[in-house]
Amino acid sequence: MIEQALQDYLNGGPLYVGEIIVRRVNPRGYVIRHWKDDQQPDATLARYADTTAALEIVRYDAKKKYRPLKGAPNLRRGWELRVSSVAETRQALDYFYPGAFATWLAYNRDEVLPVDLRETLQRQTGMYRVTQKLTLPQAEELAGRFCQSGSGCLRTILWKIDGHSPRRYLPESKFDSTVDQLGRNYGVIPFLCVEACNLFVAEARKIIKGPAE
Amino acid sequence: MSAQRKPGSALVLVGHGSTVNPDSSLPTFTHAKEIRRRRIFSEVHCAFWKEEPSLREVLRMVESDDVYIVPNFISEGYFTARVIPRELELTGAVTRRNGRVIKYCQPVGNDPRMTDLLLYRAKEVAEGVPADKTSLMIVAHGTGLNENSAVAAKRQVSAIRGRKIYPEVVAAFMEEEPPISAWDTLTTQPFVVVVPFFISDGLHSYEDIPVLLGIESQAQGAASHQEVFRRNPYQLKGRKLYYAGAIGMEAMMADIILETVERFDFTR
Ligand code: SF4
Repeated sequence: MIEQALQDYLNGGPLYVGEIIVRRVNPRGYVIRHWKDDQQPDATLARYADTTAALEIVRYDAKKKYRPLKGAPNLRRGWELRVSSVAETRQALDYFYPGAFATWLAYNRDEVLPVDLRETLQRQTGMYRVTQKLTLPQAEELAGRFCQSGSGCLRTILWKIDGHSPRRYLPESKFDSTVDQLGRNYGVIPFLCVEACNLFVAEARKIIKGPAE
Repeated sequence: MSAQRKPGSALVLVGHGSTVNPDSSLPTFTHAKEIRRRRIFSEVHCAFWKEEPSLREVLRMVESDDVYIVPNFISEGYFTARVIPRELELTGAVTRRNGRVIKYCQPVGNDPRMTDLLLYRAKEVAEGVPADKTSLMIVAHGTGLNENSAVAAKRQVSAIRGRKIYPEVVAAFMEEEPPISAWDTLTTQPFVVVVPFFISDGLHSYEDIPVLLGIESQAQGAASHQEVFRRNPYQLKGRKLYYAGAIGMEAMMADIILETVERFDFTR
């Protein structure tokens, strides 16, 4: 079903998600690039045919720094991944933006239930239990700093804090699944954030414990 | 090995992942790819505690109603007993939810063939070295809080002793007694082979353990990580010491993962 939906989507035109573009090419094949490399001549790009290349591409930014957060807006450029099946395309997509397509489909079926940050923090045990002490202003400040699309994360936030979206330091668009976080004005699939990630929780811990740890 | 096909089932391989170590998730991704290639399950996914896809989101990626969860962990402990069940909202070994059956398997480290894997690593790193003049040391993290890695390592040590290949087999730990730094008093043979009981190479195997062994004076820069394995053997304290990498990348791990699934079915 997910694969079929992906095939249908790609038959209708290119797919943009995060910083990548996926195109169906003739006769049977799919090309994935950094969206800014879409019009680059083939010869200027490092070309790959194995989805495993995507794992390497997402792991380090252009400065060879590890990218622990897949939504970080620093995907490096200069490569092309060309695969022959939708299954491989889906696999590669999940390497770049894990679950983005499946979550978007579920979201359109109204099957995505965002989890309030309080619930996420309440669930924590062990060294992360202290994050339960995070106050609303601290959570809003953290979201404003850590999740912002400019240099933090390209996901669209669906979760709330105490029932409210963390709007204080973030633009309306950060919570709107119809708006592209990169500000392009063509059809883009949002990379949805249904529940605050573990990196967010780890940052919350730093706020409570102080930066020394 | 030819594992039984499970065309209506999904496999989710769970790794720890890391926000600082780029190599941490590689073994999990690598084995998932190999198992996918064998077409045993209709889908194979990875999920991580510290990376994406997270345990919280992976089940949205799964389409099958029959799902096996296999922790790619060396031992039972905090992660397998608390974190994974909590994050996946499991109620036991079998969880039924919204028409779906989720089967929670044992960590891969419980597989009896982990012993073979450790022995294979030991043999590989010290090729041609006479086993009857060799002490084998299995090293693990060993902290009561996160993992029972010490218990698991000691279990491996007694299993390896039982095979009577090496005259001396000992365990040593980063954060428990006996410490890794005492390797020269813990062992007596002229050759010493050290195999870390870890899923993935990372700061522990590149930096911490080499420093404890005394084969590195201090933590090295990121560029020289693999160097530590290339400089074998180390001449130290009148012995020849061989230091092996983590076992998690071995190709045999894919078989062990599949057997973990089979064992789950067999014992149910
Ligand atoms: S909480 Fe969501 S939006 Fe914020 S950094 Fe994590 S994944 Fe990105």
